[in-house]
Amino acid sequence: MVYEVFARKSRGEALRHIGNLNAPDDELARVYAHAEFDEERWFDMWVVPRDRVVEVFTRAEAEVAR
Amino acid sequence: MSTAESLARPEEAGLAAVRDLVLVLADSKRLLGLRYAEWILGAPELEAGIACASMAQDEWGHARLLYALLKDFGDDVDHLEHGRDAAGYRCIALLDRAPDAWPGLVVLNALADTALTVQCEALRGSAFEPLAQRVGKLLEEERFHAAHGAAWLRRLARAGGAARDVVAADVARALPVLLAWFGPDSPAAAHLVDGGFADAAGSVLRERFLERVAPLLDEVGALPDAVALLPGFDGFDEAMRRTRTGGPDAETLARIRGDRNRVFLMD
Repeated sequence: MVYEVFARKSRGEALRHIGNLNAPDDELARVYAHAEFDEERWFDMWVVPRDRVVEVFTRAEAEVAR
Repeated sequence: MSTAESLARPEEAGLAAVRDLVLVLADSKRLLGLRYAEWILGAPELEAGIACASMAQDEWGHARLLYALLKDFGDDVDHLEHGRDAAGYRCIALLDRAPDAWPGLVVLNALADTALTVQCEALRGSAFEPLAQRVGKLLEEERFHAAHGAAWLRRLARAGGAARDVVAADVARALPVLLAWFGPDSPAAAHLVDGGFADAAGSVLRERFLERVAPLLDEVGALPDAVALLPGFDGFDEAMRRTRTGGPDAETLARIRGDRNRVFLMD
């Protein structure tokens, strides 16, 4: 399962997408995110399975078509 | 004997036990770091390899900090790190040779690393302050190691079939060694506690360790055995926290001492 990884530098700042990883479950996703992305001093970090990210809209197709 | 001398003696005995313990921890962490490093390439998942790289660096960092502390005891740190033969190493005996497959590494991660952590936790308020300062930071990093080990042990146990059998056998082999590793309730152990150098030793730490890993032992059905298992200390060298026989194998020794790199050291 692919997980998307988000983090921010300080409280109140917007979460930033910082990468993704493969993990079989939430528990290992958490551990792997820590190992892979903890080199900077993040205030907090979150992972979410990619298939749980719901698309609102995308302009990509319209722009390519133009 | 003067009053000052009688007061100094338990203090000295306590400090000698601290020195022994720091070397045990430093050697074990150096060896464990090598074991993690061996799986940076070839772990079952790319991400697990990255986690091993991270844990290897942590353990080698901890080992360096701990070896450096031994200067305060008059040790020749360069000799300790690069000049000893196999019989001089005080690592947990399980680390003497490389595990032959991934489940073996997972057991080192989930159980041996946790045994080291339980021991380090007992030193958080140590009267030997340089040690207390260092274990604080080190324990922060260990939380992630424990999470990785636990997640993987559960994963293998729940996979069933051969994976479960292999990991259960590895746990059964590791457990008696780790339970004995905390040592007997000896005078030296009492000096550590009475002098305020550790908040517990021997069987108290053994119980803390068992309590910590009980959920994982339960996963592979090792819990009843573990509870029944009281270690014997025949041939156990308390200062080494292991039996004297053996030590790291030749390949391991060459790598942890950095034999092939000595010629490139410029200082």
